[in-house]
Amino acid sequence: MKKIAVIGSGAGGLITSSKLAKDLYKEIKNGEVSITIFDKRTDQEFQPGYLEVAFRGTDPSKIRRPIDKLISPGVQVVHKNIEKVDLAERYVKTEGDGGEKVDFDYIVISTGASPDNDQIDGLKEANMDFHTSANKSSLIYNQVSKIKSGRIVVGIGGVPYKCPPSPNESAFMLDEYFRKAGIRDKVEITYVTPFTRIYSAETINEVIAPMYESRNIESITVFNTDTVDSKKKEITSIEGETLKYDYLYLTPPHKTAGFLKESEIVDEDGWVKVDKKDMHITTYDNGFAIGDTTNIPISKAGVEAHLEGIVVANNITGDINGTGRAYKFTGRTQCSMETGFHKATFVVGTYDRPVEKIQPSTMNYMEKKVMEKIYWSSLHGHYEWLFKHHFKEDYFEHQEPIAH
Amino acid sequence: MTTFNVDSRGTACPGPITDLLRAYKKSQNGDTIILLANDPGAVPDTKTWCEMTKNEFAGSKQVEDAFEITVKVASKKA
Ligand SMILES: Cc1cc2nc3c(=O)[nH]c(=O)nc-3n(C[C@H](O)[C@H](O)[C@H](O)COP(=O)(O)OP(=O)(O)OC[C@H]3O[C@@H](n4cnc5c(N)ncnc54)[C@H](O)[C@@H]3O)c2cc1C
Repeated sequence: MKKIAVIGSGAGGLITSSKLAKDLYKEIKNGEVSITIFDKRTDQEFQPGYLEVAFRGTDPSKIRRPIDKLISPGVQVVHKNIEKVDLAERYVKTEGDGGEKVDFDYIVISTGASPDNDQIDGLKEANMDFHTSANKSSLIYNQVSKIKSGRIVVGIGGVPYKCPPSPNESAFMLDEYFRKAGIRDKVEITYVTPFTRIYSAETINEVIAPMYESRNIESITVFNTDTVDSKKKEITSIEGETLKYDYLYLTPPHKTAGFLKESEIVDEDGWVKVDKKDMHITTYDNGFAIGDTTNIPISKAGVEAHLEGIVVANNITGDINGTGRAYKFTGRTQCSMETGFHKATFVVGTYDRPVEKIQPSTMNYMEKKVMEKIYWSSLHGHYEWLFKHHFKEDYFEHQEPIAH
Repeated sequence: MTTFNVDSRGTACPGPITDLLRAYKKSQNGDTIILLANDPGAVPDTKTWCEMTKNEFAGSKQVEDAFEITVKVASKKA
């Protein structure tokens, strides 16, 4: 019996387990393969929806689904977190006193990334973020809906963080909110970033920089947030520049799951070291990591987690049924950036192609909305035909292994 | 004084600057960051970043298929 352990039931873990269950259906039925997914969460949230919760007042329950509805037939669930992974001995240990050792033949780690307020002194006390949970995001809307005047500071508090365009989106969505409320002239919106441009990739910056100007969104580049003083309502950069705020919605730098920090498979900041094409953990052949938890040099976003999951599932299936590992991830990104008033652009690139220049449009916005509609079903693998058609040669690289 | 060696090869925009920022955050004035990158935008972007942050761009050279970019950290507040 080949045992496959998937750690984390988020965007990456779910699609990987669904794809494996579908392709190894017969082997699972015959008792030759088992797939177990570990995560103590009993529900999942559509994280891109945090923006809608924070800046449009969407009810958090609208973007949440119970895990049981998201797990595909053939996949077993253990509602416990993992506290230790030993790749050499091929076992994981579940959290807590009664923690159990569970053996595996293959492991896929998809434990995501989450805000790390502790990296910036004072951030936790002063800031409200829309990267932690739907409930936390809704606290922002409670505040926003009461603002009559003042300065709101948004932007990138530190790197890395998930969904690179999301801090830009928060500025655009606040602009829309206060224009519609008729008090935009009384509310200042300031966007800070440690990069040299409003959006780090030049092509997208060329598109949005003029929009910041025309919408009267102030931008401060090369601002590396160092400390926040909640009493004085000030943030200070590493270079010593100080900025006043009335309301602070910075995107904090992110961290990986705690248990990984103790293992030898991560870099000095805790990100799992993987091969950027086949996602295997660099020191082990039977271990893979996908999604936000890896150290690969592309944005941390759901589309990437999904495409990586497909590659890994295909290769594990190939290994088990003897056809070999023939699939590679192309580095394709597709992060949507809403620019307000029913328009959006996309940050699209691959390992070999730089980020494209795509103008915001209503069509793009509609594409983003379609993605939201099909998101939950897509985690079952129901829309791979559509993604294959949409991403074309970027969906994956496929090379038949050379026959011996 | 510490030297931070940052390997950003294979990283396309915005990668190398993200890696530079991660090292910069941990550094102190007087430290050196050596960034290895093969993204052609890395050299001009690092130059601009140094000008804007008042850190020192100490040079770049081609090493095999990559650029080795040296930055001297100078502008952190005491
Ligand atoms: C505001 C916002 C906007 C976004 N917009 C977009 C967008 O437009 N497009 C896009 O593609 N992406 C977007 N994303 C990013 C996207 O949601 C994530 O990149 C994606 O969810 C990553 O998938 P993952 O599987 O790596 O991690 P996650 O989906 O975060 O799942 C990780 C799972 O691991 C579990 N876990 C953690 N530790 C353990 C442990 N020790 N043991 C077991 N389980 C554990 C967690 O409970 C969690 O369920 C956005 C994110 C945010 C916050």
